[in-house]
Amino acid sequence: MMKPTDAPSRDWKALLLRHEMILLYVLVAEWLFFYFAGTSVNRRGVVIGFGTLDRQFDVLRHSCEIGLLALALTPVIITGGIDLSVGSLLGLCAILFGKLWHDAGLPIPVAAGLTLVIGTLAGGLNAVLVTALRLPPLIVTLGTYSLFRGLAEAITRGAVTYTDFPAGFLFLGQERWLGLPTQAWLFALVALAVWLLVHRTTFGRSYRAIGYSSEGARHAGLPVASRLAGVYLLAGGIAALAGIIYTARLGQAKADAGTGYELFAITAVVLGGTSIFGGAGSVHGTLLGVAAIAVLKNGLACLPVVMELNAAEEIAGLLTGALLLLALTGGVAFRMVPRLRRPHRAPSPTPPSS
Amino acid sequence: MKNSPLTRLLAAAALVLASTLSAAESQLIVAMLPKSKGNAYFVSCKAGADRAARDLGVKLLFDGPTDSNAAKQNEIVENWITLGVDVIAVAAENREGISTALRKARKQGIQVVTYDADAQPDARSFFVNQATPQGIAHTLMDDAARLLNGEGEFAIILATLTAANQREWQQLIEKRWKEKYPKMKLVAVRPCDDLKDKAQSEATALMSAHPNLKLIMAICSPAVPGAAEAVKQAGKTGKVKVIGLGLPSENRRYVKEGVTDTVVLWKTEDLGYLTIEAAVAVAKGTLKPGAKTFPSRKLGAIEIQGDNILLGKPFAFTKENIDQFNF
Amino acid sequence: MLTLLAVFAPAFFQPQPLLSLATREAPTLVVACGMALVIISRQIDISVGSQFSVCGVCAGLLAASGWPLAATLPAAVATGALLGAVNGALIAGLGLPSIVVSLATMVTLRQGLNLARQGQFVNLPDGVQWFGLSQSSGQGLIVGFAVLLLVALALAMRHLAAGRFIHAIGSDAEAARLAGIRPRLGTFLVFVLMGALTGLAAMMNVVQSPQVQPLSGLGLELKVIAAVVVGGVAISGGSGNLWGAFAGLLLLACIGPALTHLRVEAYWEKAIQGAIILLAVVADGIRSRRTGP
Repeated sequence: MMKPTDAPSRDWKALLLRHEMILLYVLVAEWLFFYFAGTSVNRRGVVIGFGTLDRQFDVLRHSCEIGLLALALTPVIITGGIDLSVGSLLGLCAILFGKLWHDAGLPIPVAAGLTLVIGTLAGGLNAVLVTALRLPPLIVTLGTYSLFRGLAEAITRGAVTYTDFPAGFLFLGQERWLGLPTQAWLFALVALAVWLLVHRTTFGRSYRAIGYSSEGARHAGLPVASRLAGVYLLAGGIAALAGIIYTARLGQAKADAGTGYELFAITAVVLGGTSIFGGAGSVHGTLLGVAAIAVLKNGLACLPVVMELNAAEEIAGLLTGALLLLALTGGVAFRMVPRLRRPHRAPSPTPPSS
Repeated sequence: MKNSPLTRLLAAAALVLASTLSAAESQLIVAMLPKSKGNAYFVSCKAGADRAARDLGVKLLFDGPTDSNAAKQNEIVENWITLGVDVIAVAAENREGISTALRKARKQGIQVVTYDADAQPDARSFFVNQATPQGIAHTLMDDAARLLNGEGEFAIILATLTAANQREWQQLIEKRWKEKYPKMKLVAVRPCDDLKDKAQSEATALMSAHPNLKLIMAICSPAVPGAAEAVKQAGKTGKVKVIGLGLPSENRRYVKEGVTDTVVLWKTEDLGYLTIEAAVAVAKGTLKPGAKTFPSRKLGAIEIQGDNILLGKPFAFTKENIDQFNF
Repeated sequence: MLTLLAVFAPAFFQPQPLLSLATREAPTLVVACGMALVIISRQIDISVGSQFSVCGVCAGLLAASGWPLAATLPAAVATGALLGAVNGALIAGLGLPSIVVSLATMVTLRQGLNLARQGQFVNLPDGVQWFGLSQSSGQGLIVGFAVLLLVALALAMRHLAAGRFIHAIGSDAEAARLAGIRPRLGTFLVFVLMGALTGLAAMMNVVQSPQVQPLSGLGLELKVIAAVVVGGVAISGGSGNLWGAFAGLLLLACIGPALTHLRVEAYWEKAIQGAIILLAVVADGIRSRRTGP
């Protein structure tokens, strides 16, 4: 049967490391390939394509929001849960931020602060339903996925787009600070915080314990409900931040912001080696997963052969799907994956309804 | 172990690529961005653009989101900036959102024109205007009034509640309706997410919820055949009329059967052709701000109003003429 | 919900629009039946929307290239079954988590289809619509068939050994194995069935209009999962039945038209849909806790 994973034994850790190392090789190979195949010199003698610094910064800027959502999802998935609502929440927060600034006339920092609070509260809705009522996260967040997007559309009646943000705010999404795109600093900060939380605190250990067996964690005296609530609250807050950054990058807040981002984020997390059953996973793996997808997507768009086909996005999507399958099947060779799905919640016997 | 076959594959691909890379460099590169590239409307635009690119000897890149998505449009434009294309032609999904990326392109010396849906005026040099929003809205509303003799209930089906030009058309249609046809009544506005099947469901629900409904106006192209199919299935052909903005090829059957009365559109291939011609002329410096006309190879002298290059009036496809068009 | 409608919008209950609604939703019902089985066996399949599109476009292209309907229909079902078998092989064969596998196949299939078709419609030849029958008999056939399928599957789940096996696999795979059931084979077959049903549903959708849009089926997975779960099938497997899935779909399918009838503006539709899903699962959660141990 399975080896215990809550107190990571040495070889389990080695295997995990191996997954991330392989992902790192893939990433480096990808990057080198695109560097050589996707860079050229144009008629005017200017270097163009993937090898330019601008392009590299674009990769950073474009992957910031999805990266944040992936960071938000990592602890959630480690606890054996899932949050499908983060992309919708990004949209809701983006327009709430726009509304607070534009309609309520609040200064940008206040509006941003309030948006973060609202996002966290929205995450709280997931948290309450998942912990207090012990509903399966997949279903709860499927509901809030519709609800948040629906509220965003209802509030703006679909039509209102908030624009004309001041230059100081757009600086966050479009300019550079200390040599890097401004939002990259924020992203790094959040990444560091989540990494510390998951890998260097007792919280992180309890996430793994809950993900491995929430019943076991309960018996061990862990406050399972409050720990679980914490990860959903955190996911809400980070989604709100992603919404603000999205607004700054595009210079507009609209109800369709972040549509479909949740799937990319989940893909990145799983590609990064976090087990969808919970119990194991790492933040640096997630970061590598995000990078692998972002480099693939941006690099492909620089390849002449792909440009001829006019289908960078589709090919990137195809390859991302394939990469995910490859990572999964490859993973089987290395480690033992639970053969069957364990329930997401404590196995308190549920009587058949109806 | 896992990456070695992958690297080998990549290396093989790199060899293939190296050969294609050098060929394109001497040509002017025009990048064309549709709102959503699978949409038959833009596919038809591309056909015209391809022909223009061949005629003018330029290289055409055509890429866009598969769904109408403002963020993806920005990413594609930013990609083209680092690829160093010479000129970008854009159909803006969202006016303000795309303008930030377009200004960035102009700052780097890349020329920008827009077509189909405009960006902010300072983000591009010319807008190839297929028909003014007023022109479209008035044509549709007037046609609706003509079919209903100026009175009765009608409903609108549009793509999404968030698409900028859809909302603009809707608002102008409503303005025209309030000003000129007070006896008509707009009973509902429903989105169909650019899905034909959803448009069909919406139209079915509209007809049962509003038994006195006389006309459905579908202002995105998948919605026109969707609404027509719903009317046909409900056995209300002729009783509930369908008009809309759409392509002849998708609506031919319904127009011939008398389910759909009029499909309004411009000649999309011409729009694509003219856009590329204008883009190339701007890049070569032969078309400058202040010009009053633009000589098109295919379409003759084209009028320019301000910075709008005008394609002409919308065209109404009816039972009589629809067979002459195959796009 | 339906009572509310009866009071405020009696026009909702006219036979013709109802038949149309039923016809529109019949393919979804077929997919929902499959999804119920998948979820009862404690798996999930989020690739059904993409499968639906692929099968629809394949069927459309075959029909357009002159295949007779009698050959197109099995081809669509076979395409679906094949796609389902891929999922099944990865999930049951390699023991991979179904949510991730089907996420990957969903993305791969959807993007592959986009690449191949660039979103263009497939125009069908005459005689495909309604299987070449008249409209009303075509509609009747589709609805009748969907209902028949529902009844047959529901009865099979209850009375046939295979149905009880699925329940057994879902509630405790290890126990099922010890009891002599082969859970992996069972899981594989459930996914093949899911795919075949999706192919069938795609065909039922194709014949409803003279064109196939490759985007059709977008978001279908969330709709059917929501329907199944609102209908009381536990996401943790082992419990629930097809009647519940049917009731759940009935509820969700009526929201859109009902809002039109109640003159609610379109902007609220998604929010209301989400709220109803949440209410349903909350109600179910509270009920099962009360009656539970």
